[in-house]
Amino acid sequence: MTTDAVKQPRGLMALANPTRFLAFVQIVLPYLSLTALALLAVGLWMAFSVPDDYQQGRTVRIMFVHVPSVWMAMSAYMVMVSGALGVLVWRHPLADVAARAAAPIGAAFTFLGLATGSIWGRPMWGTWWEWDARLTSFLVLLIIYLGLIALWHAIEEPAKSARMAAVVVLVGALNIPIIRFSVEWFTTLHQGPSVVRSGGPALAPEFLYPLLVMGLAFLLVFLTLHLMAMRNEILRRQIRTLQRKAARDHRTGNSK
Amino acid sequence: MTALFGTKYFGFILSAYGITAAVLIVLTVWIFTTHTRRKQQLAKLEEAGLKRASRSNG
Repeated sequence: MTTDAVKQPRGLMALANPTRFLAFVQIVLPYLSLTALALLAVGLWMAFSVPDDYQQGRTVRIMFVHVPSVWMAMSAYMVMVSGALGVLVWRHPLADVAARAAAPIGAAFTFLGLATGSIWGRPMWGTWWEWDARLTSFLVLLIIYLGLIALWHAIEEPAKSARMAAVVVLVGALNIPIIRFSVEWFTTLHQGPSVVRSGGPALAPEFLYPLLVMGLAFLLVFLTLHLMAMRNEILRRQIRTLQRKAARDHRTGNSK
Repeated sequence: MTALFGTKYFGFILSAYGITAAVLIVLTVWIFTTHTRRKQQLAKLEEAGLKRASRSNG
């Protein structure tokens, strides 16, 4: 066995190298995106084939885009929490890339959660918006996402912006259990948990299965977009490095 | 599915699915065009003789 063979990381650890990660994304992306589209088509077909709910009537169909959007908004934040820990504890080369790439996607899903919830709320609750604990804490999540995106753009030096953003991400993570348990801790207009709860899902199977399929489809859409955004972030850093090298060479009078 | 059209909640259901589709499409197009633009920028820099560490090391 050669020394090189011993030093080469294998499996997932090999993906810590940005060049290997880009090659991995190139291979995985077509399969992931096609599976996401296929599952989305199946989920939509199932969502529009369910019977009307005895309370919500036809508007129950809004649940199949609202709930997965909320799941992805919170999952994207957990990806950012993992990235923040990777930056502060393990100093993983792709940790800040993963966190930064997840932010605009998480913000988009949070906006969708708020928008579709509001559209559902108007006919069911008689109001577009209510300052209750669940809705307000979810709005706070959107503000945290937007604040983090602004922070990443405001600080030019990558290592400094990564550390500062990681601290803010970890502080903002306190909002995730507040969102999750707000319907149990406070009296809210929003209904309690109906899928992930002790005692099993409260939904009837004809609504639960389309919801789970749509949830899985949204997860694959998120993973596809996240890998694409991570690839963009790696390219941005490579461009920045070359531009700085060009500026340095220009100052010292080197042609290359 | 056909029973949905023309009902009093049709507008709400259409809006929810429409906004979801619009946001996801805009997000995908934005990420995709960013990738194309950055690939072009990187190619221009490499044409100018600048090499990435991974390339110059062989």
